[in-house]
Amino acid sequence: MRGVLGHFRELDGAVDAITELKQKKLGDVTVFTPTPRHEIDHAVEAPPSPVRMFMLVGGLSGCVFGYWMAIWASNAWPLVVGGKAISSWIPYTIFGFEVFVLIGALSTVAGLFINARIPRLTLTVGYDPRFSHGDFGIWVECSPKQFASAEALLRKHGAVEVRGER
Amino acid sequence: MATIASEPRRPNIASANVQLPAVTTYEQVDDEIIATLRPTKAWFAALFTAVICLMIGISAWMYQINQGLGVAGYNPPVMCGVYIVSFVFWVGIGHAGTLISAILYLFRAGFRTTIYRAAEAMTVFAVMTAGLFPILHLGRPWKFFWLIPYPNWRLLWPQFKSPLVWDVFAISTYLTISTTFLFVGLIPDIAVLRDREKNPTRRALLAFLSFGWRNSEREWRHFARAYLFLAAVSTPLVLSVHSVVSFDFAMALTPGWHTTIFPPYFVAGAIFSGIGMVFTIIIPIRKWFHLEHYVTLNHLDAAAKLCLTTSLIVGCAYMVEFFIAWYGGVQAEQDFFWNRVFGQWWWAAWIMLTCNMILPLSLFSQKLRRNPAWLWMLSITINIGMWFERFVIVVPSLSHEYEPWQWTTYAPTWVDYSILLGSFGWFFMWFLLFVKQLPIIAISEVKEIVPPRLKRLHGHTPETADDFEPEIPGTH
Repeated sequence: MRGVLGHFRELDGAVDAITELKQKKLGDVTVFTPTPRHEIDHAVEAPPSPVRMFMLVGGLSGCVFGYWMAIWASNAWPLVVGGKAISSWIPYTIFGFEVFVLIGALSTVAGLFINARIPRLTLTVGYDPRFSHGDFGIWVECSPKQFASAEALLRKHGAVEVRGER
Repeated sequence: MATIASEPRRPNIASANVQLPAVTTYEQVDDEIIATLRPTKAWFAALFTAVICLMIGISAWMYQINQGLGVAGYNPPVMCGVYIVSFVFWVGIGHAGTLISAILYLFRAGFRTTIYRAAEAMTVFAVMTAGLFPILHLGRPWKFFWLIPYPNWRLLWPQFKSPLVWDVFAISTYLTISTTFLFVGLIPDIAVLRDREKNPTRRALLAFLSFGWRNSEREWRHFARAYLFLAAVSTPLVLSVHSVVSFDFAMALTPGWHTTIFPPYFVAGAIFSGIGMVFTIIIPIRKWFHLEHYVTLNHLDAAAKLCLTTSLIVGCAYMVEFFIAWYGGVQAEQDFFWNRVFGQWWWAAWIMLTCNMILPLSLFSQKLRRNPAWLWMLSITINIGMWFERFVIVVPSLSHEYEPWQWTTYAPTWVDYSILLGSFGWFFMWFLLFVKQLPIIAISEVKEIVPPRLKRLHGHTPETADDFEPEIPGTH
């Protein structure tokens, strides 16, 4: 993995650099920001997160499992209470709902981990602790031939530090 | 800081202003919030006190296990006492955290930003505390796992039509989701701590807990979506948990319990008591950690309005209970409510009514809503009042059922009081450990409302700067 890391103090400089990097297609761009910013989302033009599908599938599976567990266990140990049916779907809605929430939420977290590619054993190249503090970073993964033009572009938009990494 | 001391009273839309005028840079946020993690003598003293209270509670429980449940003051048919009262109380305390972090997040209520982490941690520790009480209430506490549906060679399963099994699912789901919500929100902040940490051992531990978080746009994008969906599923969960707890009572035919108003009444009461506990915790933290410019008077003002609203709902529920008892025409129900308010339990009922209905009316005054000392004192009375609300629900009903020969009394013993004290020790021990290990204010979310550095401030290319005005919640 080779590329150029630009270090920005200002948000708008970083956003301008991202926009131009995308236009010129100099390489894959990874942006580091201490807090989520809509301006960066718009500049990166990333697709919507698929985490919602994890929530939907996990939640529906959990709901089905919650109902199934209560109905199956009631039939396996059939005690009549208050003259009610052995499989009473109304009280079992509580289990359907609770397990829907439980599995749906845990699936959402799984979706976050899978899509964000965490846990990560190393911080890999292109990261700097200052990016969690207050500064913005742009990592441009490109061939050595494009290093010079990427560096020039980053500096033009106000990068205070540009370095090549591999 | 001078701006805080002279912060003027604003028009009665103060909650809309969630800006932090005394916080100007991302670095300031990191530095000031991380500075709160340094232990102090006062913190050690508070932790020592909490552990002593916990030890007293554990000793009393060991004594109860040795001697039997009779030492806990139960007097048939009053077989639910301080333990069940405290269970409902602590579950209620645990409601404000998810309300503030999830429901107010969905409603984009900006004032939640600086108080939600404390409220979320409070929720997790309160539910951990609540979960102990049904076990304490068991004659054979080591058999508690029988309520969990696990495969066993006798092919026995719990009774899924029992509200007690509903409780097990509701509380365990709530604890799991609250903990998950808290931890997911902490990941970016743990990464901030990791990047600032000098001690290699502690740094390695923080690196492990942060899962290698790098603050990349990709991570933030999925994080924001996951957080939104966690908030979306936590919202009905908050409303369901105390509804399910209320079914423990409402499913019985006991006078005072068998009523359909219980689910919304319990949920409103839970949120009310939880906000009371948030004030109890956040106001001293604000003062001792010098965070007045983060948890501003505007934030306290907005939270106080929420407190007042839930107090009015709870008060309305009290009145509806009395009305339905009169309007329903059931003699046992009418006698019971008369006995609750003017008879045997008048003192408990009037503590409840005074603390939960009358004193919170003071929050109609903007001056008092913006007075942290008053809010803190009021929060203590709300905590007391809400504990007595649960006492009034649980004990008088059992002591005054249908048949006069069943009527009896109930008095907690030193074992009950010791275990109640121990529960506060348990709760505050965990909370105190939390506040010195992890940020009590969400660093990354506070940064969202701090204006970022822009070129125009540094004089590079001012013509593009207007496009990057920060979006401040509450100003649209």
